[in-house]
Amino acid sequence: MEQPLTKLFDQQVGNLDQAHVNLLYWSAMAEDRKMRYNITNAFDDLKYLQHTRTKQAVYAYIEALRVCCLLEIREEGNKKNLYITEYGARALETLVNQGYTLQPSHFLGG
Amino acid sequence: MLIGIGGAGSKLSSTFDGGSNVVINISEAELNKAKAAQRILAVVHSGRGKREGAKKNPEIGKTAFISIKDQLEDMVRGNTVITSTGGGTGMGITWKVLESIAQKDDVPEEEKTTFILVLPYADREPSEYVDNTIQFISQPVSWAIDSGNTGNVFLVSNKEKFVNRMTEAEFNGLIARRFNAFFQIPAKCEEHASLEGHIDREDFSLYLSKPYFNYFVDFDYEHKKPLDEQLASNTNRLMLEPDTPLEAMFLLEVPNHADERMFYDVLDHFESRNVVPIYAVVRNPNLQVPHLTLSLLYARKPHDLVNDFIRISEKRTRDKIRKSIEQHGTFGPKKVNLEQEAMKEAMKAGKKEDEVISVLKRIGKL
Ligand SMILES: Nc1nc2c(ncn2[C@@H]2O[C@H](COP(=O)(O)OP(=O)(O)O)[C@@H](O)[C@H]2O)c(=O)[nH]1
Repeated sequence: MEQPLTKLFDQQVGNLDQAHVNLLYWSAMAEDRKMRYNITNAFDDLKYLQHTRTKQAVYAYIEALRVCCLLEIREEGNKKNLYITEYGARALETLVNQGYTLQPSHFLGG
Repeated sequence: MLIGIGGAGSKLSSTFDGGSNVVINISEAELNKAKAAQRILAVVHSGRGKREGAKKNPEIGKTAFISIKDQLEDMVRGNTVITSTGGGTGMGITWKVLESIAQKDDVPEEEKTTFILVLPYADREPSEYVDNTIQFISQPVSWAIDSGNTGNVFLVSNKEKFVNRMTEAEFNGLIARRFNAFFQIPAKCEEHASLEGHIDREDFSLYLSKPYFNYFVDFDYEHKKPLDEQLASNTNRLMLEPDTPLEAMFLLEVPNHADERMFYDVLDHFESRNVVPIYAVVRNPNLQVPHLTLSLLYARKPHDLVNDFIRISEKRTRDKIRKSIEQHGTFGPKKVNLEQEAMKEAMKAGKKEDEVISVLKRIGKL
């Protein structure tokens, strides 16, 4: 059982790109600073870094992460806030070790 | 009945007098170490908790709560829960208890739960403990107090343990002695000859059932000295400082031949603060000098409390950054914004990638 699951995890992680990595990273940083990072912040940040210009694309990035259980979306007082999951943390760790760069979030102040 | 949850809760519960205690933990080994009338093992299915405890991760406590939900919710009615706010087991399980209390429509007075919460000393304890405490106070504790469904909440601080370099056993003994003195108020009223006022078990329970923070202290009362001064020099350093009192209770024990009318001075003190305390004055022939046990109920907003912790936590981060700059030696001490410069420097050096791993660990995800 352990073997195919590890393989699945590796495949999922292998399909992520820079925008996904950023979202995982920013969610974690925000949580660590006791801030909330929501979908609108994600849209602003990804737009700023010219990953996309549409909110739909941001939804798609987030949805992909959510379906793979790497990111959790919590409704907190009208806002949909993003939280990295334990799986997400492992994915981010793997990606960082593979040499992905972490881009600064404008919202979180660089 | 006293219900001790997690490591600190279990150890402390067995040092308190009076009736039976129940201990709850997710680690069987820890559970068996505790002295208790009853032991409850909460189960975590991940396997990780079972082997190594909650490792400061409250999510494990919250999950473990599910396995004992009905039994525990039943048990806390009209009783006292004691836990630390920093760890994973006691805090995680108590989080769920508070959450469920906060969601109730109404809790009758006799079913209110009182909480003794042991806060870390933010200057010396790991940041996970401090961060857990911030979450805990700003969320479930605050919800439960706001709902009006809890009884008194006692906020104990571990500061004195560190300041006085005490052993854990010594410090727990000290906490227990202070609490025992307070909880003995109705028993002392029964035991000794009553002179003025009265506090019976029902009065005491009613007082405990109010949804406020409780601060108490006991000291030898000096008749001639203003009470303000005495309170200022006899603070209970084991507890967080109180805010303006909303209600109060005191027991004055006077030795043989002493004039019990000194209790009017205590009443005057409260009158000037618009508080009408419940009180009792008894003759205790075992004493040489008068002794006052006094409790205040206050409603300091939990977010003020949290702010104190956040301030300390932020200061610590700043200090760390400052230290790292000093080590890099790139900047003179006169630079305007040290933090920003440090961040930039850390990023230039590719530290961001290393930092993220520690961030993930710090938020309990890795
Ligand atoms: N006063 C006191 N504090 C303790 C004791 N044991 C642990 N703590 C404090 O409790 C916090 C850690 O939580 P702990 O109860 O050990 O974790 P848990 O078992 O996961 O709930 C830290 O702030 C410790 O300083 C104890 O015996 N007495």
